[in-house]
Amino acid sequence: MDEKTAPHLEELTRALGDLEKTGIRAEFDKLLAFRVSPEVAKETILRKFGGKWRILKVKDLSASLKNFEITGRILDIGEKPLRPQEGVREGPSKLYTGVLADETGSVMFSSWKELPGSVGDVINIKNAYTRLWQNRIRLSIGEQSLVSKVSDSSLPLLSELSRTPAKKLIDIGAADFSVNTAACVLQLSHREVSVRGKQSKVISGVLADETARLPFTAWVELPGIDIGSIIRIEGAQIRMFRGMPSINLVSSTKVSSVAAEDADKLAFTFESAAKDPAPLKIEEIASRDSMFDVVTAGNVVSVRPGSGIISRCPECSRVIQKANCRVHGKVEGIRDMRIKAVLDDGTGAMSVMFPRELAEIIYGKTLEEAEQLMFSDISKDAVYEDLRRFLTGRYLAVRGNSSNGEYGISFVAEHAWVPEDDLDVRVVELLRRLGPDEEEQGPEVSGGGVSFA
Amino acid sequence: MLKREIAKRVFAKEFEACRELDKSERSVSEADSKSPNLLISPLGLILNRVFAVGVLTELDSIGTQNEMWKARIVDPTGAFTVYAGQFQPDASIFFSTVQPPAFIALTGKARIYEPEPGSVFISIRAEEANVVDEEIRNRWVVDTAEQTVDRLEAFSDALASGYRGETLREYLLEKGVSEDLAEGISIALERDSAPREFAKQLRASIREGLRVLSLESEDTAESRVDQKEFVLELLREMGGGKGVDYASFVDAAISRGVPEEVVEEVVRSLLAGGQCYEPKIGIIRLVG
Repeated sequence: MDEKTAPHLEELTRALGDLEKTGIRAEFDKLLAFRVSPEVAKETILRKFGGKWRILKVKDLSASLKNFEITGRILDIGEKPLRPQEGVREGPSKLYTGVLADETGSVMFSSWKELPGSVGDVINIKNAYTRLWQNRIRLSIGEQSLVSKVSDSSLPLLSELSRTPAKKLIDIGAADFSVNTAACVLQLSHREVSVRGKQSKVISGVLADETARLPFTAWVELPGIDIGSIIRIEGAQIRMFRGMPSINLVSSTKVSSVAAEDADKLAFTFESAAKDPAPLKIEEIASRDSMFDVVTAGNVVSVRPGSGIISRCPECSRVIQKANCRVHGKVEGIRDMRIKAVLDDGTGAMSVMFPRELAEIIYGKTLEEAEQLMFSDISKDAVYEDLRRFLTGRYLAVRGNSSNGEYGISFVAEHAWVPEDDLDVRVVELLRRLGPDEEEQGPEVSGGGVSFA
Repeated sequence: MLKREIAKRVFAKEFEACRELDKSERSVSEADSKSPNLLISPLGLILNRVFAVGVLTELDSIGTQNEMWKARIVDPTGAFTVYAGQFQPDASIFFSTVQPPAFIALTGKARIYEPEPGSVFISIRAEEANVVDEEIRNRWVVDTAEQTVDRLEAFSDALASGYRGETLREYLLEKGVSEDLAEGISIALERDSAPREFAKQLRASIREGLRVLSLESEDTAESRVDQKEFVLELLREMGGGKGVDYASFVDAAISRGVPEEVVEEVVRSLLAGGQCYEPKIGIIRLVG
């Protein structure tokens, strides 16, 4: 170690721990080999690995995190040989995949190196990162991750962690693989889908309990179960679709009807669960990763660019620019209308997408009428400008699904309306909360003076 | 990536009383140089972006070389001062097309200007604005009143608890107050020596503002509504949209059998409700 680099390496060690083991030293040397000055190299490395380690639990994981530490018990592990690809330099030939769990949930992981433990062992991973893989979060253990086995851990035992948890619908999220729950069937329909060229029947619908609603798909028949049935589900699989969990009933899932006397003990009935959802504040929607079929209301504070008339590719329905699809090249676009607007109620802000049917209702113009406007005006943004003039500031209620991502909440509306005027009632309630006028209260007793009786 | 900042609902009276919030005062350091310049109200509301609906009563083009608009937007408790310049093209275009008086909805960022200690100017730098109807204005007043009363209640609770600083913050969180407000209230109480006075005044203003709103929906006051309609109609007939001399208006009303005190009362409620205003003393002018 020469004199110039020594102090920098020392600083890095202080900030990041053992440099040799984590491969940070190698990275530092590589930068030096490119004649980067040691000082700049140090800063680069500090920026990349971040001075501050975060210790996370499984439930805190989200897509594209890096530089964190996590401890969990291995619930399952397997290895996959990797097909060597031509032209790619010699790399690891095996990928280890499995499931890691702590008391807050479980997560799939994939590791590029052999792990110092097997099923049931607790491991600690430093410098792990996450990726989104098949719509769910996957914990990745790379070359630069430091993995160690923890022998005395207070984490729950394997049997406890691998037991399927019983959950209310609102608590089901991306960290769940398999759950038990009791819920009521609100909607149900049969359809045929082709899975790998084979026609098969699936049942899809909506489940509800007193906390939330979620979509479900059954890949098996559900004899005797129909809309209104209250069912107990054991070992349902949770899949993520567009950031929304969905309950999958597969052959290993046990589904049974809840007997009438047991149904009385539940906190919901078909009638209560089937009622239109009560409006939420946007703040409450923001506190969840995703919510299915909820109602909220607020002011349109901004109509976003990209609203108005758009063209879609006839093949894939992607939005296209200048009759050119990203995938299908030059195509004859199909006209469509949509509105993207920011709805804000003072407690939260969310981006709401109104598809054509709703856009036509809230704008009060059909696609054809909007097209007339587009052709009659020189400005290509005529419809967008008109939408902004029409919608900005307005008060709207929406019902639909929300998912909370990197850019805040995005909400896809399925219904939209102008809420009923309930101001009278609210004003009366407010006046009650504000209390009587000060003057009407009469002279204040504790005026600071002494009153003689 | 930054999430969109929430547009807070706040009455002009509370907004005007805001002061700059120093980043070092925040216990939850967001460690983010991109975080906006925040203001804090005497009740502990931490804000930057706001959404306001009110009556645009004055609009001036004050730019010399560049476009710059100055507007005044009135709500039941006071008025917002709004600016829009070349860097707010959407709002500038809007202001160049609108004629006061009108009900307008507006989002913008709070700005503070303190040329010398003791004189503080709080204004909104407009982002987007639009003309709206009276119903949206009324709804904004009620929404804003609800959120302000929530704050007032949390604030009184905080005062009554006798706690300060970190203990107070935890106490409020325990009570279900949002993290932002719990922090804001504990900061606000460190600053203000007489916090009760402002809360009392604000309560009175809101109460007054709501009374004016609810007037239209009271069944018992049906004859009053009729008289109001009549006075309003008369005002329109006399060219109220351009401005009418108050004294001659009262004379005209009396000649049609409406007692003077009724005219006075109706005009007062119209003024408070933002349906008309006084561009000059003695002249009344209808909105919209």
